[in-house]
Amino acid sequence: MESVVAALWNSLELGVLLFLIAVGLNIIFGVLNIINFAHGALYMLGAYAAFTLTGLLGLPFWIALIAGPLLVAVLAAVVERVMLHNIYDRPITDTLLLTFALLLIIDEAVKWVWGTGIHIVEPPEILAGTFSLLGTQQSVYSLFVLAVGIVVGGGLWLFFTRTLAGKVMRAAASDRKMSRLVGINVPLVFTAVFALGAGIAALGGVIAAPIRAISPGMGSNIIVESFIVVVIGGLGSFPGAFLGAIVLGAIHGFGSRFLPELNIVLPFIGMAVVLLLKPQGLMGRSAI
Amino acid sequence: MHKHLTKFASAIAVAASLAAGSSVHAQEEPIKIGAIYIFSGVAATYGEFAQRGADLAVEEINASGGVLGRPLEITYEDSQIKAQTAIQAMRKLVYQEEVDVLMGLDSSGVATGVVPIVPEVQTPFIITHAATPDVTGKLCNEWTYRVSVNINQNVKGAATMAAETDAQTWTTVGPDYAFGRQSWDFFQQYLGELNPDAEFSDSPSFPAFGTEDFTPFINAVIDAQPDGVFVSLWGGDLVNFIRQASDLGFFEQDFEVIMSLGAATEVLSALGDQMPEGVTVGTRYWYAGPDNPTNDAFVKAYRERHGTPPSYNAQNAYAAVYAYKNAIETAGEVDKAAIRDALSGMTFQAPIGEVTFREGDHQAVVGPAYGVTRDDPDSEIAMLEPLRLLAGEDVTPAVEDTGCNLAQ
Repeated sequence: MESVVAALWNSLELGVLLFLIAVGLNIIFGVLNIINFAHGALYMLGAYAAFTLTGLLGLPFWIALIAGPLLVAVLAAVVERVMLHNIYDRPITDTLLLTFALLLIIDEAVKWVWGTGIHIVEPPEILAGTFSLLGTQQSVYSLFVLAVGIVVGGGLWLFFTRTLAGKVMRAAASDRKMSRLVGINVPLVFTAVFALGAGIAALGGVIAAPIRAISPGMGSNIIVESFIVVVIGGLGSFPGAFLGAIVLGAIHGFGSRFLPELNIVLPFIGMAVVLLLKPQGLMGRSAI
Repeated sequence: MHKHLTKFASAIAVAASLAAGSSVHAQEEPIKIGAIYIFSGVAATYGEFAQRGADLAVEEINASGGVLGRPLEITYEDSQIKAQTAIQAMRKLVYQEEVDVLMGLDSSGVATGVVPIVPEVQTPFIITHAATPDVTGKLCNEWTYRVSVNINQNVKGAATMAAETDAQTWTTVGPDYAFGRQSWDFFQQYLGELNPDAEFSDSPSFPAFGTEDFTPFINAVIDAQPDGVFVSLWGGDLVNFIRQASDLGFFEQDFEVIMSLGAATEVLSALGDQMPEGVTVGTRYWYAGPDNPTNDAFVKAYRERHGTPPSYNAQNAYAAVYAYKNAIETAGEVDKAAIRDALSGMTFQAPIGEVTFREGDHQAVVGPAYGVTRDDPDSEIAMLEPLRLLAGEDVTPAVEDTGCNLAQ
């Protein structure tokens, strides 16, 4: 019983973290129609921003929580203006190559600025420690992760359904030409979407910093997981990112606990099963 | 007579100036070392540490006049932690850069791919990190040497420490590839020999290498309540594991914890005062351990340059360069086959102590360091107290048991 509770809680925590990374990937694909290979690197930049602000500059974690994503969003906006905005009409292979190059550039830059060592970030005092949950011990920090996931997920859903800016983004996603004709500044919307997606990825990085070791290449680990989330949930689908993340979280949480010998292949088995049953993903609208 | 003497003297002068000229020429011709390490991705820190150690040795040797009057020059290549990339790098270093000797290799997977190809390039290769027993075991060859502690030696140390505790039932958490699984196999074998009553879990945990979330595995161990846990995770994985385990109260449980690579300086400096106290941790070299002038000078020079104590990977690379210098001086030449033969059975002084490459399998007879973590306010990383340096002779299996057959 306890082990099921622990696995369930762990699945949720992991799922929420994966959601924070994958949702930006999915939003960027949905609107800009590019698969952003550098997305994991933006997550890594969030983690390094948290390390720099708290560990090196001694600022409170809460400042990093706000400033980290903002800094990365600004950087992403510049990258979109300088690099990406030229290639939206090019074949998908070009965008893959370009964003892969971006990943390599960020990786090298991180090594140059912060070195190759491993770093950690201390969680704020109030989030340290554990609490009991139905006979299991869980870290207080996992509660915080869930809370952030709920706030971000709910906030994004309200943003896309209830605000003008959100509706403009959805309009630009579904028909660029028509949006342009009705006076929407499509290039500006694209910049904003890329910055938003990057900012959420960086938020994931800041959130992950107190529980994950920070080192160059951490972005490459997470990008594979994010792609699996997107495949399971459906490419370009916002609820799909959430569902896919929870499913992959459960695969890890329960699989590692009860089928540890299969922990490496289970995510891929899960992905294959979804692809066989529903090639467009659980929430995807159509296959590409 | 007088005339003859003058002639004779001038002949000597001409000969001397010619000799001087040729030695000046020789000094311009460096002896080339090719080094292959991991410089990208999550484990890039290991390549950086190796480079720091090797560069320090090369600079020291060059500052004191080089070897046979010639300076050393070192070229680095990135293995990207892939065997195929490392093999290409090796061929490039030998055929294009025309290096005289090779060193390097992080990761057992890379080493098992590269070592069988070494005889093809006919160049001595000194392994400084990869720890799989196979490269000085069933894959051994006349060109390949290892200066560093291997899994056998490392884990025999862990088993020795484990045998001194009261724990009888043991389980493991290790990375899910050859290294983690071989570590567990050796642990069972050696602890079984030292303590016949020891029992081993039939459901050990092997998380994928690069796992970010170890919580399910940690919970599984806490639920199982063994007497002891042997952890062979390393690098960033180990840092993640320790932090998440601390959060879940793993280190307050009533079991012994032994980590075969927990005392690696990159892990201890990443964790700082988050490193739990009272855990038995091991490393393939501990800077404060070996009590000899070579180590004192090495640690001092390294600290002055980088501000931190050297890691095991830095020591290993530093030692490999000095091993090569010693081999050249023994052979009196740089010829590759002569160096290969000079290395076999050679003893030289390294920071870790006096190191001998065994003739039978070319494995250095060296031992790991184990200790119990203690937080020290004066030190940026946790100290090991008490500290145990295991003798190479006590932890190195006999040549007959390694599977190596160099005699053919």
